[in-house]
Amino acid sequence: MLPQHLSSRYPALLCAAFLALACGAAPILPLNARDEPKQPPTPAPDFNRDVRPILAARCFKCHGPDEGSRKAKLRLDTRDGAEHVLGKAKNSELVLRIASMEAGTVMPPPATKVTLTAKERETLAAWVAAGAKYDAHWSFVAPKRPEVPKLKIQLVHPIDAFVVARLQKDGLSLSPEADKYTLIRRVYLDLIGIPPTPEEVEAFVNDKTANAYEKLVDRLLASPQYGERWARKWLDLARYADTNGYEKDRRRSIWPYRDWVIKAINDDMPYDQFTLEQLAGDMLPNATTAQKVATGFHRNTMLNEEGGIDPLEFRYHAVTDRTAVTGTVWLGLTVGCAQCHTHKFDPITHAEYFRMFALLNNADEPEFSVPSPELQNQRAAIEAKAADLLKLMVGATAQQGDAYVAWQEAERKQAVKWVTLKPSKMEAGPTKLAIQPDGSIFASGDAKKRDLYTLTLEDLPAGVTAFRIEALPDERLPGNGPGRAYYEGPKGDYLLSEFMLTVDGKPVAVTGASETHTRGNLTAKMAIDGHPHTGWGGSGREGVGSSAVFNPAKPLTTKNAKLDLLFERHYAASLGRFRVSVTTAEGVKARDIPADVEELFTRPKGTLPNTEAILILGHWLYTAPELKVRRDEREALLKRLPAYPTTLVMQERPADNPRPTFRHHRGEFLQPKEAVKPGVPAMFGAQLNSPKNRMEFAKWLVSADNPLTARVTVNRHWNAFFGRGLVRTLDDFGYQGELPSHPELLDWLASEFQNPSPTPPLKREGLKPGDVPAPPPFLGEGVGGRGSWSIKRLHKLIVTSATYRQASLVKPDLLVRDPENKLLARGPRVRLEAEQIRDSALKAAGLLSPKMYGPSVFPPQPPGITTEGTYGRLDWQVSTGEDRYRRGLYTFAKRTAPYAMFGTFDGPSGEACTAKREVSNTALQALTMLNDAVLLEVAQSLAKRAVMHDGKTVDRVAYLFRLCLVRPPTADETASISKFYEAQRERFAREPERAAKVAGAGDGATERAAWTATARAILNLDEFVTRE
Amino acid sequence: MLDVTRRHFFRDCGYGVGKAALASLLCRGSTRGADTPRAPESLAPKKPHFAGKAKAVIHLFMAGAPSQLDLFDYKPELAKLEGKPLPPEVIKGQRYAFIRPEAAVLGPRFKFAKHGKSGAELAEVLPHLAKIVDDVCILKAVHTDQFNHAPAQIFFNTGFSQPGRPSMGSWVVYGLGCETKELPAFVVMSTGAGISGGAANWSSGFLPTIYTGTRFRNQGDPILNVSSPAGIDAELQKDTLDLVADLNRKRLATVGDPEIATRTAAYEMAGRLQTAAPELTDLKKEDKETLALYGADPDKPSFARACLLARRMVERGVRFITIYNEGWDAHSDVTGNSRNNCKTTDQASAALVSDLKRRGLLDSTLVVWGGEFGRTPMVESNPVLGRSLGRDHHPQAYTIWMAGGGIKAGVTLGRTDDLGFHPVEGAVHVHDVQATILNQLGFDHEKLTFKHAGRDFRLTDVFGKVIKDALA
Repeated sequence: MLPQHLSSRYPALLCAAFLALACGAAPILPLNARDEPKQPPTPAPDFNRDVRPILAARCFKCHGPDEGSRKAKLRLDTRDGAEHVLGKAKNSELVLRIASMEAGTVMPPPATKVTLTAKERETLAAWVAAGAKYDAHWSFVAPKRPEVPKLKIQLVHPIDAFVVARLQKDGLSLSPEADKYTLIRRVYLDLIGIPPTPEEVEAFVNDKTANAYEKLVDRLLASPQYGERWARKWLDLARYADTNGYEKDRRRSIWPYRDWVIKAINDDMPYDQFTLEQLAGDMLPNATTAQKVATGFHRNTMLNEEGGIDPLEFRYHAVTDRTAVTGTVWLGLTVGCAQCHTHKFDPITHAEYFRMFALLNNADEPEFSVPSPELQNQRAAIEAKAADLLKLMVGATAQQGDAYVAWQEAERKQAVKWVTLKPSKMEAGPTKLAIQPDGSIFASGDAKKRDLYTLTLEDLPAGVTAFRIEALPDERLPGNGPGRAYYEGPKGDYLLSEFMLTVDGKPVAVTGASETHTRGNLTAKMAIDGHPHTGWGGSGREGVGSSAVFNPAKPLTTKNAKLDLLFERHYAASLGRFRVSVTTAEGVKARDIPADVEELFTRPKGTLPNTEAILILGHWLYTAPELKVRRDEREALLKRLPAYPTTLVMQERPADNPRPTFRHHRGEFLQPKEAVKPGVPAMFGAQLNSPKNRMEFAKWLVSADNPLTARVTVNRHWNAFFGRGLVRTLDDFGYQGELPSHPELLDWLASEFQNPSPTPPLKREGLKPGDVPAPPPFLGEGVGGRGSWSIKRLHKLIVTSATYRQASLVKPDLLVRDPENKLLARGPRVRLEAEQIRDSALKAAGLLSPKMYGPSVFPPQPPGITTEGTYGRLDWQVSTGEDRYRRGLYTFAKRTAPYAMFGTFDGPSGEACTAKREVSNTALQALTMLNDAVLLEVAQSLAKRAVMHDGKTVDRVAYLFRLCLVRPPTADETASISKFYEAQRERFAREPERAAKVAGAGDGATERAAWTATARAILNLDEFVTRE
Repeated sequence: MLDVTRRHFFRDCGYGVGKAALASLLCRGSTRGADTPRAPESLAPKKPHFAGKAKAVIHLFMAGAPSQLDLFDYKPELAKLEGKPLPPEVIKGQRYAFIRPEAAVLGPRFKFAKHGKSGAELAEVLPHLAKIVDDVCILKAVHTDQFNHAPAQIFFNTGFSQPGRPSMGSWVVYGLGCETKELPAFVVMSTGAGISGGAANWSSGFLPTIYTGTRFRNQGDPILNVSSPAGIDAELQKDTLDLVADLNRKRLATVGDPEIATRTAAYEMAGRLQTAAPELTDLKKEDKETLALYGADPDKPSFARACLLARRMVERGVRFITIYNEGWDAHSDVTGNSRNNCKTTDQASAALVSDLKRRGLLDSTLVVWGGEFGRTPMVESNPVLGRSLGRDHHPQAYTIWMAGGGIKAGVTLGRTDDLGFHPVEGAVHVHDVQATILNQLGFDHEKLTFKHAGRDFRLTDVFGKVIKDALA
């Protein structure tokens, strides 16, 4: 490797030559003057690079794609629209207007508060003078694989060829390769998110084989921790969190989706498949459990559970979020800007926005149980025991035959004959009511705060004396029903506010009401009291049936009637599954007996086949007082049945009940206008296959017809490694986005990502046979071959380049010439992300748990974070055991009160899609690193490791230093730190009480306290939180 | 050799430690991606668009929404109509959270009287405000777009109903930078049961995260981790900071990244915070008369204590302070709710204004008092929820007041109809209030913008007009 002294003394070009050798290519020779590109005469402005950004920023707002805000019928975003004002250079109205000094003539008009700079005016004038050529926007044209630049000395790695070719234009070159310590720490942090152990470092530093680095990369790509690192980045885009957001911000269970992401990334699921499964996994043929779980991507939207909200309004907001996020993540376009009006800059009309919205607007949003073999086995074992108990109960029944027979006799006397009604017509607004095989009615579609079910009843038996409403459980409903409450109230809750019967348009008096179950005062009588806010409530019995009986004042005299069931509450609480029956028997009240059992008791004695008689036995077993002891035992056992974890999924609506989508004026929920059909914007010149739905949308996103997805994706990954995208605006590839710094490299990477193809054979001139490295790892297997859309392959391609491997030393002259490091003449130095800082600290301390997957955990944080000032309070019960030390990605994410340390280090809240995290450098971060309890615990553990380490103080200092920073300390650093240690040890020796406080429990507090202080200082170095 | 390089570097590149430290003596530090030029995001003090009257804002946010009809907007007509529904043409098409639009009217719950030279009409439960009413400007016809707490609070604070946009305080610090070198520029305090809008209310949204509001907490450290762990005494902390600074300096010499100097500056700032925060929150230095004026117990968290802290913060250069008083959500017993919340807030809110005034700070400090929306003229009662004699959410019209910072004193602006339902005169949208707050600080709200996702965003979205009538 390049010794330190060389790097500072040798000119850059020599270093580059050294680097090229190290990479296995011939050295780059000093540039010959003849190779310098000649300065051509000032060229005409390039439309995409120079002109459109000005027009877009200054003019499009009034003269752009949005008809609604267009002034003077002039649009400057198309040549046709602008033709009449462009003219020739001398008589161009556009040039005259922008140059005008008169308030009434000048463009943009003073009232807009937008002004053109002198340079912008010159550019526009020069462009008009040169013929005002319009070019298609670069990113809206599919990438064509560019030739890898031919350099005088051909570099091995195509990325380097592109980067060096660009650097040479400015007379620059790559920096030398980073030293091995820096390199291993960098590639560990980048690929798996945590630093290497000193042993791993030694192994790498001492591995002198030619492909030592490549072996390291392969090992990291295969590590399960790779998936954890890259899942976190994806979860930023997915706006993942463990709570619902908004006021109440209650817990939700969607961690199975997070685990799906980790697994998919570790399996290197091709990105096109990764896309299909997340956007439309439920619609894949024979969708697997995992594919359904994957659709959690768009279920990470927030859910407002505040009392009294309009649930459809917040569902609408969720779909706008899904539309915008899909635009950001796959298209790199600010699609969300077209929610309120036609996009001011990009060619997306208001109607087209809602066509995309429609593609995502046709799903139901259920909870989904995720069975696991482990839980299945546990359940089976318990169920087997319960079955044994049931057998014992059956045996006992046989012994007490008389009681059983007497009970049946008694039941037969009480049984009422009910007739189940099948309404001839059912209306319920956006809700669809459908009759089930058992005669019950199932409600699907969107529930509201006020749902009115109107049932037309025909052919009633003569003299109806009572109506029975059975509220029935159903696993398709929230909390298994019977109600449809899915937010704010208990899941599956319902409130039957009014039971209203009419005959011939006249209300029928209903005077009797009784129910089998009720919670509190929510009796069936309240459903006939005329007050819409009171009613019969099934709360407390979610997932369990109950029934109410309503008696008209007089038996009905007609065959036809209309039944209105009103459900009105401050949250959606209509019934999801129910059955309506009538009887003509007198004095009937609600009875707590299953309807099918009661029906059997109405049949003539002794006529029951065994299959049905068993139902009667079953009811006996569930109710007989004689069997109470066994039954209680069995119920206690069943309570121990472990529940399957649930997750949130999308489920496309059935073909016979699609949800219509409308264009909403100004993007407002309350202003739906004309209906729109699903589709993608016309600018893409492509049509979706039919049926135009979520699945076809997902397929189109990753098809060759879409010019954006591959570019946007490789750019985001490039950003992850270099701290800057080739297109700096990761989320905007539209007219307002920045142009790529290396357009050919971006397109080459995008092409290579979709269709890995063989790279031209290497030129190996100037290398001795022994120097020839193995074939580069990035070679593909041809178009459509293995490795297509492979993220791991993309990562390997990037991290094996010399561009990635160069040192990050910031040379003063470079800082002046290229402060943003756009040209990549050095490696980037970036602050670690919040989770990386936590994970690195725990790893250094030897505390980091390798446990993967499962529900989110609660590591320590300062008191009050999730309670004080938080409306939706969460008691943060600190996890015990290894869950205290899990990777940051498993930390419970509460949207309105994120984990304090992550918030301080720019972690996202999960309220919005984050394409790029901010990187700040603040005093609050310093306070966290210095004083947070987690960091102190880390320092204490590091102190224990130091004490256990054999050697003198300086050896222990070196050991601590390497645990935290990977590289060995310089002599100078060792001396400073050792001096600090000795000084603290002396002070602690004098103050044993203070030592005990700092060191924590245990012997040898003085030494441990001093080492704790020392470790704490090292953890606070800039280098610890920086990826060099 | 290295020294020469470094001197060149610091001299010619303008990134000397001194300069870096100055530019980023930053209340919260600096921000940058590997790619972001940092100059525009610095927290160094900046000039607004024009000379503003106000240098600081104290926003007393009455979360949950006070009943304007029982505190400010006296409507005898409601007493006459009590028990009857409002006319159908008034309630047609209105949406409510809990009640039906046809719910019966509820008359004013308190006695009202006129106060001060200005003759402003106030309910009897606001005796302290009554005494300073000639210093405030009451806006009686404010309206908003949202009728649920979280979205409406987020709307008032960020100009948009969904989380993700920068809050007012963030915009202000983005525009003005930071004056204090030892405290955060934007502080948030909660004095009640919890804030519906949550952290989105003080988020920096898509602005750099350094503009996020810093919570001052009631339990544990006032600022997270501002005290050293047990046993880490001042001497050890100083030794540690010295060692860290020394090693960082050496690293800077090798690596050359000015961000290291910024980190050192952030640590220096952290050191100052460790001294400044306890000094700020130590109210023992306040005289008895002042404590009594606010009704603050120096050691007990309360709205009164938060108001006093806010004054101390303004004295120390903090730009924007939001104090939340939660608990105004009177769905039931609006009488008791209003009485209790006034007991908690009236004295201290008035004391804040008069205390600022006697210290000569009121002219440069804008105080804003109000909630996220108003409450209905109709009664809320619901036996299922155990509610009676409450009022539901009412976004159509409500009252806030402002004082100081160049706002006209002793006026009442805006009028609602006889039912207190809709504005009939001087209607003011929440975006107008936001535009006015920015205006008082010296900003043209249409020009205080940040480019994000392809376009310029601002606090007032594409709306907002400065309330000219409210300007002194």
